[in-house]
Amino acid sequence: MSLMLTCPVCGRRNGYEFRYGGEDKGPRPEEDGLTPRAWCDYVHMNRCAAGPVKEWWFHRDGCGSWFTTWRDTTTNLEIQPPEDSE
Amino acid sequence: MFFRTRRLWKKPDRLRSRYDAVIIGGGLHGLATAYYLAREHGMRDVAVIEKNYIGFGGAGRNTAIVRANQRTSENLPLYKEALDLWPVLTRELNFNLMFNNCGNLNLVHSEAAMKASRLNVATAQFHGVESHLLDAAQVKEMEPALNIAEDIAFPIHGAMYHPPGGVVRHDAVVWGLAKGASAHGVHIHQQTEATGISVENGAVAGVETRAGNIRTGRVLISAGGYSADIIHRMLGLTLPISVLTIQAMVTQPLKPLLNHVVSSGAYHVYANQTLKGEIATGAHMDPWPNYTTRNSAHYIKHQAEALGEMLPCLRGVRFMRHWAGLADMTPDMAPIMDGNDPVRGAYINCGWGYFGFKSCAVVGKHMAAFMAGGECPEILRPFHLRRYEQHRLMGETAAVVNYSPDN
Ligand SMILES: Cc1cc2nc3c(=O)[nH]c(=O)nc-3n(C[C@H](O)[C@H](O)[C@H](O)COP(=O)(O)OP(=O)(O)OC[C@H]3O[C@@H](n4cnc5c(N)ncnc54)[C@H](O)[C@@H]3O)c2cc1C
Ligand SMILES: [Zn+2]
Repeated sequence: MSLMLTCPVCGRRNGYEFRYGGEDKGPRPEEDGLTPRAWCDYVHMNRCAAGPVKEWWFHRDGCGSWFTTWRDTTTNLEIQPPEDSE
Repeated sequence: MFFRTRRLWKKPDRLRSRYDAVIIGGGLHGLATAYYLAREHGMRDVAVIEKNYIGFGGAGRNTAIVRANQRTSENLPLYKEALDLWPVLTRELNFNLMFNNCGNLNLVHSEAAMKASRLNVATAQFHGVESHLLDAAQVKEMEPALNIAEDIAFPIHGAMYHPPGGVVRHDAVVWGLAKGASAHGVHIHQQTEATGISVENGAVAGVETRAGNIRTGRVLISAGGYSADIIHRMLGLTLPISVLTIQAMVTQPLKPLLNHVVSSGAYHVYANQTLKGEIATGAHMDPWPNYTTRNSAHYIKHQAEALGEMLPCLRGVRFMRHWAGLADMTPDMAPIMDGNDPVRGAYINCGWGYFGFKSCAVVGKHMAAFMAGGECPEILRPFHLRRYEQHRLMGETAAVVNYSPDN
């Protein structure tokens, strides 16, 4: 399952250099008024889309950057952000 | 004329416009639930909606290992009942499920893990599940092919020995359950994809499929590794699940050399010898979620290296076939079974990861009772989805599993 990812610093590299960092769920919720439900959504809950997903990656065996990118989970290929994405 | 084939299950009539219950997913769990709905609860019109063919998913791809030596008091009784059901089902379905009761050896590779295993074994025994702790010499005696040398990556310190487990023929379970369900009037619609669930006033009103719409008040989403995506698309629920491709392979057939199912958490390897003589072995999960179900050179190499250390007699033996399927993993390594929350009539069954074969019959039995009566059976209650927002994860794993960002 060959995966190539584009690090913003190092460019396109072999996927095994990276650690997966989860689906992009927006900013970490504010501590003020944080409910167990909202925290759970942030730490555990996923959409598990079969298709385009925006997610976090960490260039573990490289420059150490954290960045987001889009990937199609059915093909394991990095893709351009879909038209309707924010 | 000599090999006239008879269909095991009936090809159903056209999709009806109304069913008492609709099950999305023709895997083991879906077929088992349909079987028990029809057999135990007298439900006349039950449909199983399967996008591809029954057994397409994990049902036809798993490595068929069964055991009941789980870690927590919520999980143990469920798996024990599951294990006890194989001989019962074999009789009931009048179909040989080929239960090879060879026993399991879960290898232990450190003194800390030996201590943890002591707790595991004691909990299992407390729940009436036979389980023993062995030291390395005893392991060697039982499984002479294992390497108990100290100069390997993960030396063997001992093992949990679980005699009642073993291997059941997974395809036979698919066929047997389909046969049984069909005999009790269940409609199995293959090549029919479910595309949506319609909800009216907070309750399920119907299921949309590529072959037409169905009116129904009850739907179960039980589509193995595909469940999480479907549940999000159709019910808008997010789940604490990561869907990963998991790989398995078999070697060329060999003369008998392995007497048990042997597994090692440290090497990420398990192996058993099939009745044909092949070493069936798995199962590494990809380090990032994906639905490709593709094998990788990376893990085939890993598997060969690990087996070569644990079972040196396998060095030079060839892998003949490899394949992959999906594992829908939860952070506490326990499944999610729930219903009527937040949508009345909508039931979900997922998060079975790489351990949903052994449990399929017992889940079908209790999910059917849940769907027929609307009341969650005691044994399924701990597995509800809200345990995550209550931050009461189950202790099937000592630490949160590491494909999530929070490790
Ligand atoms: C390589 C591997 C090894 C494993 N080893 C073991 C093991 O040794 N022991 C063990 O206990 N477990 C094991 N498992 C886990 C086990 O196989 C699964 O947990 C279990 O099969 C999942 O339940 P199921 O059979 O009901 O689902 P599946 O068989 O996955 O069925 C899901 C079905 O849903 C269908 N579907 C998907 N989308 C739709 C739709 N929109 N509409 C209609 N139908 C749809 C699919 O076509 C599929 O047939 C293993 C899994 C894998 C992949
Ligand atoms: Zn980099």
